[in-house]
Amino acid sequence: MAFYRGQQGSVKFDDAGSSAAAITSTRSWSLTVEKESLDTTALGATYRANVGGLISGSGTCEILYTASSADETNAFIEHVNTANDEGLALFELFLDTTGTKKISFDGVITSAEYSATVGEIEVITLNFVTNGDITLGI
Amino acid sequence: MAAVNLNTIRSTIEGRLATELALAPVIPVVFHNQPSTPTPNSSFVQCLVSFGNNNFLTMGGTTGSSNSVIGVIVMNVFTPKGVGPGANLTIGKRIRDLYNRQVVSGVHFDPPTGPEVVASPAPEGYFQTQVRLTFETFEDL
Repeated sequence: MAFYRGQQGSVKFDDAGSSAAAITSTRSWSLTVEKESLDTTALGATYRANVGGLISGSGTCEILYTASSADETNAFIEHVNTANDEGLALFELFLDTTGTKKISFDGVITSAEYSATVGEIEVITLNFVTNGDITLGI
Repeated sequence: MAAVNLNTIRSTIEGRLATELALAPVIPVVFHNQPSTPTPNSSFVQCLVSFGNNNFLTMGGTTGSSNSVIGVIVMNVFTPKGVGPGANLTIGKRIRDLYNRQVVSGVHFDPPTGPEVVASPAPEGYFQTQVRLTFETFEDL
């Protein structure tokens, strides 16, 4: 049985939403996909009934700061500061190094935490939400 | 991008000390696995570089990824016995200032600990203190 370790993952991103490029120095990523539930319990029923509703996703990505410029890594860490963001940026979150197991979606970066702590590597934490379809190719 | 060359890192660390202690007043320095017979009633420094933890820094396989390589430097400062700590601490300060918070050729030096007095000097017959510090460098594969 094959298992995977976190370092086998990776992140690709394209602010233009077309051809995603690898984000260097990614330390971690996570994505939570949620589905709303709609209560369809009939009046007088004993047991509650639910059906699935809208699906959405939100997640986090940690990047080690490397002072990269003019590449997608730089675009990624600065994208929160984009005006008139239409949510067309392409995210690809990979679970394996072969690049075949991925979750892809368009999204919006909703927050970026830039931090520097004495004695530690500088980390940028990006939070995002999905926009539209989420494709689980895992 | 390549795996780190441990001897390059060692050379960076040891070369820095050798250059400093070659300046007046000259202090003999001996490194790991070198034969040395200290001169009685004189000062010398022993520098021991060891590599320790290596950790994942970033995602990725054997290419396009980074690791952290951490190590420790232990420097034993020996000065003549029975004449107080002054001469010893003077050498300790030279060593401490040499590495304190420096970044040299990609090697990040942390603030040093010491000079701490060693109760039982080895070899005997000297007043010994120890300066220790950790260092970190980054391996880009």
